[in-house]
Amino acid sequence: MSSRALDGRRVLRLPGGMQIGLANLAAALALTLASLGLGAVSLSWGETRLDLLAPLDADQAFALYQVRLPRLLLGFMAGWSVALAGAMLQSLARNPLADPSLLGLSQGAMVAIMVLTVLAPGLPPAWLPVAALLGGLAVAALLLALVRGHAGGLAVLLMGIALESTLSAVTAVLVLYTPPETSHALAGWMAGSLALADWPRVTMLAPWFAASPIAILLLGRALRLIDLGAPMAMALGLDAARTRVAVLIVAVLLSSAALTAVGPLMFLGVMAPQLAAALSPASGRARLVLAALTGGLLVTAADMLARNAGTDIGLPVGLVLVTLGAPLFVLAMRMRLFLRMSSS
Amino acid sequence: MRRGFPVLAALALALCLLLALSAGESWIPPSGIWAALARFDETRQADVIVIYQRLPRALIAMLAGAALSMSGAVLQGVLRNPLASPSLVGINAGAALAVVAGAFLLGLEPRAQGSAALAGGGLGFLASLGVARLAGHAHDPRGLALILSGAIVSMFLGGLTQALLLSDPALRQDYLGWLGGNVSHVHAERLADFWWLAALGMAAMLLLARRLSLLALGAEKAASLGIDVARTQLLALGAAVLASASAVAICGPLGFLGLVVPHLVRPLTGARFGALLPGCALAGACLCLLADLIARMALAPLALHTGVVLELLGGIAFMLMVRRFYLRGAEA
Repeated sequence: MSSRALDGRRVLRLPGGMQIGLANLAAALALTLASLGLGAVSLSWGETRLDLLAPLDADQAFALYQVRLPRLLLGFMAGWSVALAGAMLQSLARNPLADPSLLGLSQGAMVAIMVLTVLAPGLPPAWLPVAALLGGLAVAALLLALVRGHAGGLAVLLMGIALESTLSAVTAVLVLYTPPETSHALAGWMAGSLALADWPRVTMLAPWFAASPIAILLLGRALRLIDLGAPMAMALGLDAARTRVAVLIVAVLLSSAALTAVGPLMFLGVMAPQLAAALSPASGRARLVLAALTGGLLVTAADMLARNAGTDIGLPVGLVLVTLGAPLFVLAMRMRLFLRMSSS
Repeated sequence: MRRGFPVLAALALALCLLLALSAGESWIPPSGIWAALARFDETRQADVIVIYQRLPRALIAMLAGAALSMSGAVLQGVLRNPLASPSLVGINAGAALAVVAGAFLLGLEPRAQGSAALAGGGLGFLASLGVARLAGHAHDPRGLALILSGAIVSMFLGGLTQALLLSDPALRQDYLGWLGGNVSHVHAERLADFWWLAALGMAAMLLLARRLSLLALGAEKAASLGIDVARTQLLALGAAVLASASAVAICGPLGFLGLVVPHLVRPLTGARFGALLPGCALAGACLCLLADLIARMALAPLALHTGVVLELLGGIAFMLMVRRFYLRGAEA
């Protein structure tokens, strides 16, 4: 926190990431209030804040507690998880374009969920997250087996893309076998939607969200070493192979949990870390936290827009995210490129 | 082998075509097909099936297969990237989005969707190139960044397409099948509207074949032989986009062919484009017919989309190719 200025006095200096982090938090608060207030049943600023003091009527209370609050929490947690998974995978692959859905991890989870829905329609939904985790882990294991002995990041990514496209085809075949009523629900979920947000889903995702800071603490340093390059990491005593497996597992856990809750949030895993990196040159744990925070905020903001887009049913948040995110993403890439060129 | 290849490929194609017309829910013997073609009689059920269902379907499969395979060969040559293909560099996704956007937002007639697909395919390709430059792998001699950006761009464009589909339930049913890469007689009208665009693209690629072969020797050598390098590259890429985008306009995006067929054909014909491109056209048409046959027969009575069969095969082939080109003997 503090460092010595040139004349030897101690001065308080926030690390670059910290300021951005604070700005992010402020944005999060503003977004929270706005997104609780806006919607079909509108609530004034006073009502969202002070509902404890002034009682709400039944419509307003329902909108606030049963619809918007779970939706807000679910969106933020899902965005956080996916963005964190993306940031970790990007360090792992040493490439800014790595992402759970690009590597096929999300598709693995998706296929598992669909197989379960088709083969055992009566199964309680509590099994779905387990299936998703197993599916994601299976793809991760397959990926590692296919590229065994080749640490080169780009080849891993290409293999991931190959897995992803194969699994997408499998999903397409499975859709044919789903009965119409389930396939309709699946279609909404596959687009990435918060419309189904409720408290059970929030409690399902919450443990993973709560555990993610532990992963950041444990893996942050190792990822920072990996960012420095494989030879450097090895020289500093990092067991590269074990770290790779650990990071992959954590990324799969986070992204599969989010996928089960809200469907695939495509592109977010690439976009959020990229935006965070464009805003601040943080590294290690700070980088992960910033990326995750940005992801949560992006989903919250996108969902607020999606809910108030003017259509009756609203748009799926995943689609709003992709549409808004792409220009931001390109901008962020440009900024980083510019910074890199002007600094070197 | 090299000399006999064109003859063999043509024979194989004829055989595949015969099989595609005969096989299906009901088996129609070659004599029945001949009868339908020579003396069409609307009251005979077999004739109706051949002329109105199987023939258009086979023609679509052959045209799309040939166009996409040739485009793949040209893209791989010009971009010097063994994985370049219409589905991996954003062309297919861009064209698909443009067709859907044209129909949903602008209410374009099917006829006008051809030019929309063309523009979309071109834009998708340019976007992939742009992101590849932004992602900035200055020392990326094997062109991996382009394939990666192509995947990202395709994902993004696919997301937009899905958004549009959700916005209008009535139109959704019409386009959902098309979007899965559906070779079907339903699209016979689209074939009639756009076949000439695909043919134009393929003809342009064939005309450029000699210059492309010289270009493969290296830009400097080609320039010293009097080839305008930049212009040739631009024309060739344009023709590849034209052919593949019009194939997409007809039957929706099909993967696999553009990626794999050139690699299958090259060992048989050699790398000269004059022999490679016709070989790709024949082999691509054959493979697409076979894939369509699998799609119709594998899970009968449920019909799969041909695009799904191709994507499944293509994903596996893609894995094998990544192993072959990038993992074996690759540096860490």
